Amino acid sequence: MKKPGLTFYKISAVISILMFMGLQIVSPAIENPQVTSKILLPIQVKQILERACSDCHSNESQLKWYDRLAPASFLVADDINEARSRFNLSQWDHNPPAVQELLLWEIVNAIEQGKMPLKRYQQMHKRSKVSQSELVILKQYVNTLPGRHKVDTAKLIGEPLRVQKGLNKRNPVSLNGIVYSSDYKNWKIISVTDKFDGGSMRIVYGNEIMVKAIKEGELPFPDGARIVKLVWGKQRQDKDGNVLPGNFQNAQFMIKDSKKYRATEGWGFAKFDGLALKPAGKSVLFEQTCINCHRLLTSQNDFVFNIPVK
Amino acid sequence: MTSNISLYTLLLAFVISSCTYEKAPEFAPEYLYNVPGETVIKSIINNKTRTIALIYGNDQAQQTARDPLLRPVAGAHYTLVTWKQKAMPQWYGTNMNGRIYSVETLKISQRNKTGFAFNYEFRPGQSYLPSDRRPEKGHRIHFITAQHAAIFP
Repeated sequence: MKKPGLTFYKISAVISILMFMGLQIVSPAIENPQVTSKILLPIQVKQILERACSDCHSNESQLKWYDRLAPASFLVADDINEARSRFNLSQWDHNPPAVQELLLWEIVNAIEQGKMPLKRYQQMHKRSKVSQSELVILKQYVNTLPGRHKVDTAKLIGEPLRVQKGLNKRNPVSLNGIVYSSDYKNWKIISVTDKFDGGSMRIVYGNEIMVKAIKEGELPFPDGARIVKLVWGKQRQDKDGNVLPGNFQNAQFMIKDSKKYRATEGWGFAKFDGLALKPAGKSVLFEQTCINCHRLLTSQNDFVFNIPVK
Repeated sequence: MTSNISLYTLLLAFVISSCTYEKAPEFAPEYLYNVPGETVIKSIINNKTRTIALIYGNDQAQQTARDPLLRPVAGAHYTLVTWKQKAMPQWYGTNMNGRIYSVETLKISQRNKTGFAFNYEFRPGQSYLPSDRRPEKGHRIHFITAQHAAIFP
């Protein structure tokens, strides 16, 4: 086979340079919008998050020169846009307090599971890595947040019977068309949980298809699998250490249909709030909030948290 | 040609290094416990014994659990399943049921015109240790029958 001549290499080099220069022209601008409300944190926690998260999750990105160089700049801009949409440390009060708290727990979990900072970012920004001792500091901090020891009992007294009788006739519908149904009361329980963030206790039901899949170790879960998670607040701990359910907070549905819910990894999500079972979310995009967290932390479980695993 | 191979190798290395290997979970169906004919009354966390429990009941037990005065009903069957807590693997900040610690059952029958008989049984589970103290029968009967139902939607 004849080797390419010097001219070929020269032409290739010129084309490459021209393409590279052309890419710089169309390279996305990575701007830092105005900081509207900074997150307030203890200094130690703040230093860790600023170092590990701020480049992408704030309006104070301090990019290196090579981050702005195309083609890398396309990836960087995409990561920053995505990161700011998940949470933005410079627009922290855009989230209600309960969501702020949940986000802080999510940050800790993403770091603990090695999902964040992104591996490719860590390769280029060695200082961004969060050490085990720093993770301990973050964990200690989230355990001081108000939801960790929240007691929720105020409305419990004397209402259960009346409330229950009045609600069984309703079938609220979520914005994505998922209909509330109390069929789950005859399903089996797949897990029982004590959730520290937000202070809730939960019972998770699975339908026959879901339970069969767990028993047979079938992953991904088959179409038709359904999960319903009932969430209550917690009453104050008694002298023997018992914590009983407080007010009913919400019912969360997950329905597996790999075609219908392709955009959310095959799962349809719905949440019905309070005893009125009001469908959650202002637009159908509420599903993204659910799947973002499930996608980040439980992809190996077919995006389900509450299954019995060793 | 050599430069092309180097480029492909670099690209491949980048793609591989961007991927993270995710271990498939090992399911634990032995943590499930089925109670035919009974439905959930409530869940109970215990922070001293590091356990989490579900109390189930048949229709009569549900009737008692929904009665503000908790009056016993003949024919009531209760099942209290208790698991040792374990940390949820995918979410720091949640404990969930791990191995079963015990299954307690209680059957209430009519002893005479005004009194009831309470038939209580304790069965140890996988995580119960021989050195663990068995719960006191009278105390457990009182605990089980004193549970109001959680508010269900």
